[in-house]
Amino acid sequence: MLQIENLTKTYGKFRALDNLNLHIEKGEIFGFVGPNGAGKTTTMRIVCGLLKASGGSVHVDGVDALKRPDDIKRKVGYVPDFFGVYDNLKVMEYMEFYGSMYGMSKRDVDEIADGLLELVNLADKKDVFVDTLSRGMKQRLCVARALIHNPDLLVLDEPNSGLDPRARFEMKEVLKNLGSMGKTIIISSHILPELAEMCTSIGIMEHGQLIVSGKVDEIMSQTHGRAPLHIRAFTPDYENEEEGKQFLSTLLKEQPMVNKVTMTEDEVVVSFSGDEMQAAKLLKNLLDKNVLVSNYYREKEDLESLFLQITGGEQA
Amino acid sequence: MKKIIRMNPILRKELMVGSRSIKMSLAIMGVNALLTFIVLLVIAVTSLESAYGGYDYSGLGTLFPVLSCIECGMLSLIVPIITSGSISGEREKQTLDIMLTTPVSPFAIALGKLEAAMMVVMMYIISSVPVMAISFVLGGMSWWALIGLFVMLLSIGIYVGSVGVFCSSLVKKSVLATILTIVIGLSILFLTSVFLSTGISIITYRDITQQNYQYHLGAVPMIMFLNPYSGFVDYLVRVLTNTDLYTVIEEVGTKDLPTAFAWIYKAWVPISILVNLLVSIGFLKLASLKIAVIRNKK
Repeated sequence: MLQIENLTKTYGKFRALDNLNLHIEKGEIFGFVGPNGAGKTTTMRIVCGLLKASGGSVHVDGVDALKRPDDIKRKVGYVPDFFGVYDNLKVMEYMEFYGSMYGMSKRDVDEIADGLLELVNLADKKDVFVDTLSRGMKQRLCVARALIHNPDLLVLDEPNSGLDPRARFEMKEVLKNLGSMGKTIIISSHILPELAEMCTSIGIMEHGQLIVSGKVDEIMSQTHGRAPLHIRAFTPDYENEEEGKQFLSTLLKEQPMVNKVTMTEDEVVVSFSGDEMQAAKLLKNLLDKNVLVSNYYREKEDLESLFLQITGGEQA
Repeated sequence: MKKIIRMNPILRKELMVGSRSIKMSLAIMGVNALLTFIVLLVIAVTSLESAYGGYDYSGLGTLFPVLSCIECGMLSLIVPIITSGSISGEREKQTLDIMLTTPVSPFAIALGKLEAAMMVVMMYIISSVPVMAISFVLGGMSWWALIGLFVMLLSIGIYVGSVGVFCSSLVKKSVLATILTIVIGLSILFLTSVFLSTGISIITYRDITQQNYQYHLGAVPMIMFLNPYSGFVDYLVRVLTNTDLYTVIEEVGTKDLPTAFAWIYKAWVPISILVNLLVSIGFLKLASLKIAVIRNKK
């Protein structure tokens, strides 16, 4: 459905996108994750024809988005990270306005809009002014608006931004429904656990490049058993604290499956690729060397920790 | 049956939204109240004079030019206010990006905004017909003079409106766009007038120093085609005095003036309307390019 190859976008000397490659199959719900400035929004805006690329290619359903941006507009529906609604229009008028922008007649829009408003749980609001809707409702209305021309690809740039938990839940349900209807969706979000729950595949971006991309299950299985260990320990054999830390660091580095040891003020963070049994053996080895352990745990293996591992702790 | 001519969706939306706003109604009421006040004032002054020796209807002949100029002035103030928020307002509401993801072209967006403003201008002009018609009944003007006036006003409205849409595409804030529209409008007025007067001064000075009083102004007056009000002024002069711009040019001298130039000066009003339309298309095109440039920005 979407093929991005060597996509580059530069602003002066700054490379917002650096040879980005991405393939999304029809019917996938693809989650874009990355810290601020990673290039997610830039990628989405290029796909929607709102930005010109500096290089590379983007194809949506076989159509070159960079050479034929006008043709792409009928294939893509875009929901930006802001509401973008007219407060002095009624919900149905809002839908009719955007339908007419796609050359649809009022009758066609009315038929389609009824179903879409039903889908986003706004069927009972079609005669009220947009002004009176809550933030969550406005955002769901934006999704319905983006679907008015029945696009092949739906692009949502942080649709949950600024929504309360209930509104986020409702939006998630809407997107799940769309996914079950076979729509191809690209969604970026700061709320990573929700992405993991909704998306069939994800891509993690950093500095304009896609670092990891693939099915959620595959990525999680690749990284399974790689979550770091957090150890809070004391070395009674060493009166000097620095010497004790040095001993502990050396001891840990000698252990199997230990890749990297980072000493912090309060604890030691160990990049560890072993399983639970090997983690238990590591603990035993520490105790055998008279290292007293007061805290010993492994980070959760979820999308959020994976993201933090990959991006080195930068906030999404 | 399928509609052959589809209404610009932007125009349709603007009309719907505009009809819900009290601002437009207040503006039209204000303009008509002012025109009515002027008419009543002129009639009152004329009646006062009549107390000293019969009613003098000739005094009411001033109604037409006075009302025309006031209507033109008000139009020149209202249109920039309407149009200068057209694109910047979409930016403020953050709806411009969404519009640009639809198949509607940036030019159609700019045109739709201008069309919506022109609908307001039409309402404004038509609503003033009863007041303006007093100059037809009492001021000795013909219906054709009134119709001609409305065409001129519409032509000026399109010109000023397109400048407003262009300015609106340049800046993010509507207030700034209004100020910019007025500044650009006044600059066009000022610069064309300065260019014309300087050109005439140079030519007549040359005539005097060379003692040849039969030189002509050449193409210098044509700069005034860029001035949206030149056709309006020529039209008023024609209606009120039965003379025209060409008569003024003749006074300086028309020896060796190319025939084509003479024809152009004689047909100043229709050419001026045409130029107003062409310049408006130019401003709309610039606005659409400016809107499309969003695609190159971060």
